[in-house]
Amino acid sequence: MNRFSHIAFLLAAGCLLSAGCGKTPSASYRLNMVEATKQRLTTEQEQQVATVLLAMFGTPDDPVALPEFGLDEAKLRLASGPVRSDIVGRKNGLYREHCAHCHGVTGDGMGPTAAFLNPYPRDYRPGVFKFKSTERADKPTHADLLRILRNGIAGTSMPSFALLSEPQIDALAEYVKYLSIRGETELALMRAYFELDDDAKGILPETREFLVDETASPIAEKWKSAAAAQIAVPDMPADIDLAESIAKGKELFYGDKANCVKCHGVTGLGDGQANDYDDWNKAIVEINKEIEGGLAKAGETSTSGMSADEAAEHRKQVAWLGKFSHVVDGDALAPRTIPPRNLRRGVYRGGRRPLDLYYRIHAGINGAPMPAAKGTVPPEDIWHIVNYIRSLPYEFDGELGADRPLVARDRF
Amino acid sequence: MKRAFAAFVVSGVVACIGCGPTRVVAPGADAEAAGRIRATLVSASSAGGSAEAATAASGTGWGTLKGRFTFAGAAAQPKPLVVDKDTEVCSMGGMKLLDRSLLVDPSSKGLANVVVFARKTGRVKAAAAETPLVFDQKNCEFISPVFAARVGQVVDVRNSDPIGHNTNIAGSSFNQLIPAGQGTAYKPDAETGMPTMVTCNIHPWMKAYAVFRKDGYVAVSGTDGSFTIPDLPAGETIEFQVWHERSGGPNGAVGLEKPDLKWTPKGRFQVKLEPDEVKDLGTLEVPAGAVGG
Amino acid sequence: MGSRLGGIFWSLIFLAVPVLGVATFAIAPSYNIWLPKDVSEHGASIDGLFYFILALTGVVFIATEGLLFWFIWKYDAAKAKGPATYIHGSHTLEVVWTIVPAATLLFLAIYQMNTWADVKMRRPAMAPTVEVVARQFEWRLRYPGRDGMLGTRDDLFLTNDLHLPVDEDVLVQLKSMDVLHSFFLPNLRIKQDAVPGMKIPVWFKAKETGQFDIVCAELCGWGHYKMKGRVTIESRADFDRWLEETYARQEATQPAPEDTAAPAAD
Repeated sequence: MNRFSHIAFLLAAGCLLSAGCGKTPSASYRLNMVEATKQRLTTEQEQQVATVLLAMFGTPDDPVALPEFGLDEAKLRLASGPVRSDIVGRKNGLYREHCAHCHGVTGDGMGPTAAFLNPYPRDYRPGVFKFKSTERADKPTHADLLRILRNGIAGTSMPSFALLSEPQIDALAEYVKYLSIRGETELALMRAYFELDDDAKGILPETREFLVDETASPIAEKWKSAAAAQIAVPDMPADIDLAESIAKGKELFYGDKANCVKCHGVTGLGDGQANDYDDWNKAIVEINKEIEGGLAKAGETSTSGMSADEAAEHRKQVAWLGKFSHVVDGDALAPRTIPPRNLRRGVYRGGRRPLDLYYRIHAGINGAPMPAAKGTVPPEDIWHIVNYIRSLPYEFDGELGADRPLVARDRF
Repeated sequence: MKRAFAAFVVSGVVACIGCGPTRVVAPGADAEAAGRIRATLVSASSAGGSAEAATAASGTGWGTLKGRFTFAGAAAQPKPLVVDKDTEVCSMGGMKLLDRSLLVDPSSKGLANVVVFARKTGRVKAAAAETPLVFDQKNCEFISPVFAARVGQVVDVRNSDPIGHNTNIAGSSFNQLIPAGQGTAYKPDAETGMPTMVTCNIHPWMKAYAVFRKDGYVAVSGTDGSFTIPDLPAGETIEFQVWHERSGGPNGAVGLEKPDLKWTPKGRFQVKLEPDEVKDLGTLEVPAGAVGG
Repeated sequence: MGSRLGGIFWSLIFLAVPVLGVATFAIAPSYNIWLPKDVSEHGASIDGLFYFILALTGVVFIATEGLLFWFIWKYDAAKAKGPATYIHGSHTLEVVWTIVPAATLLFLAIYQMNTWADVKMRRPAMAPTVEVVARQFEWRLRYPGRDGMLGTRDDLFLTNDLHLPVDEDVLVQLKSMDVLHSFFLPNLRIKQDAVPGMKIPVWFKAKETGQFDIVCAELCGWGHYKMKGRVTIESRADFDRWLEETYARQEATQPAPEDTAAPAAD
């Protein structure tokens, strides 16, 4: 028995010690399985998308950017691949060192750390970014991305990378654009299968015209033209009376033109609404509803009266629902609601300059329920609202209402 | 013996660390094929003009397509929506807002809000000066549950309620605050493909669908289920897509059993019109199971 | 009964410990592996304490290890003549080697009290220069604005980029937004745990300008290793100018010139 327990112990120790052994597989992009399953792609079609993406964009260790995309390949090479150094003082693999553990190697916002964060890290693939200086429908400018990297996003887990050097921050911003263009192209390719004529037999044309001119270039064009879509902000009147402006802003905040209290609450604590989703989470919520509804309906349908064809269709549908459910379990984060911002804390995710607040109100927040006031609320009024919001964390004259005491956390 | 057992248990536990929900296997790329594709993409020439241009329609004249969708089966009573905000306006006088996803006319059995649009046409009749299409909301609901517009046409998004709304057209980055009594202009700049959802974030029960097409060949069936698409190019085979909000088909497509129209499970059928022909598809019966989901 | 060679071998191994130990300490500074450069006023006394204890323990270390070598060498079993002698202990020895260390430690405790009081107890009577709020995984800074009061509308908010004036007393108000962190300025010999719920004053005076690290010294989560900041010590004039510039940037109502770069620059 003594020998036996020794052997058992050695075996256990051996297992423990060898747990990390083995060659590390090189990083690879993961296909957007949620979209692929939503579009009911076959395995061959999924493989075609992966192949085309490999051709157009390369691998995480070896990115490729066609000239049409307007990306600087030198910067991509600095940001991509494993962390290594080829020249003294210059480090490569910046994305994998700083970003991949939250944003994922594919830029899908599902790195290993992502599930523990609230809010979730950004998924670049739909090409939607929240905090920028351009109109709602447009992409952020390069400067917007640099600003986010330098300042981080207050109130979230996105840290400030101000301690990195300028070329490093620049390279990371370029790589984010690359991942976003790649992700949007992937979505466009997957959605293109539905639009195929029957004689294409479910295979996308692999011509330069379709892949680049029709699919990827329009996406890259939007990035290139972002700087032209920057919001032109009229100056705040220099002789503005701050107290008056704040009073006007308060009226607008509570009024029917801007409707701020409908979501941000009469207390400004963000409690006017509790069950809306941002676009990324809403997509998963809608999918879950579809799966649940489909499964419920399939459960109620009896196959006894069906013809052979119908029964086969029914089985296929049930199989698809099962697969979709499995995919959403592994390839999507559990949906979370997005609460309207608590304006009493003085924490502003997109930046705290009056300019940043102006951008948020004028264009709303793309990807979030915050609507645009552009065109319906004149610029002077937006400035009044901005001044009021900036005074909210310091407004302590009992305006919150007797029955709504400040939570300790909010008093911070 | 006890020690051996303990060691066994420990190694078993350790071996299980790292287990968790497994992800589906995603197919890998075909590296060889990718190399070939990359060679085509990198070469400067854009591979000889598309051969599809040759299939341009050679016809002249214009025709009209019409039909009527009916619902086969008993339509359930529409359920009331949960209205929990601004109730002094939205539930004024005990008014109940009903779910409008499956609207069937009790007398004619017509199925309303079915969208039919042409997927691709060779010729498009020159558009008359477009008057703005009015998309209004009153009593805390969008007046049209489904509306269609042409790409580039001005949509006048209005708010005839005494309270503010915001109109959020999914996928278009249009999400605009519309104060009481005001409106704003929206010009769709891209086709939607299948219809996209329109919501209000302030009043989450509000829902409508919008479909934007470049050539404008789109119709939404009315209360009695009938639809008409005029000025379609004659002499070419046009493929149409059919959609309904509650359809169980892919992306909401409505697939009917109509082999004479080459109706596919993807909700598409084909029609070829003669010049000045008014083709009436007759009554298109939609089985209860197809849109009951 | 081992061999004599074996005995020599093992005693030399044990001799290597003090020899290598002292050698390491002797050559480390020339490889820049030593205490970080000290630019603070109280740093000298803290470092002095460190050296004093190092010297004290060093002497004891060498003595103990030397004795260990000597006993292994001298009383090697291979050259033992006759049986071992056993003693019943020595009361005097026990008393001596209890009293002496106790007295030493007591001396140390009293010797360091002044330095401790300077760093942790004698707080200068001044308003905070900056409020540092530790957060997973960054340092959120808040300067009082022109009105000199923290918590008012004109405060300056920053992340990770701490600026402080040189040759002046600085008072930092340290808080934590979530879990335990530790505000560690290696070059200023400052280390203070940030305890959630507490507002802890930290003070020091920097003697030289330059850029130095802020690191987190209390495990706070998955990002603890990269919870790094930068402290810039600069002249009062530079510091004031930097405050004004940063404040102007914070109050911007128009985009900065670098944010409106033409698309061609991409």
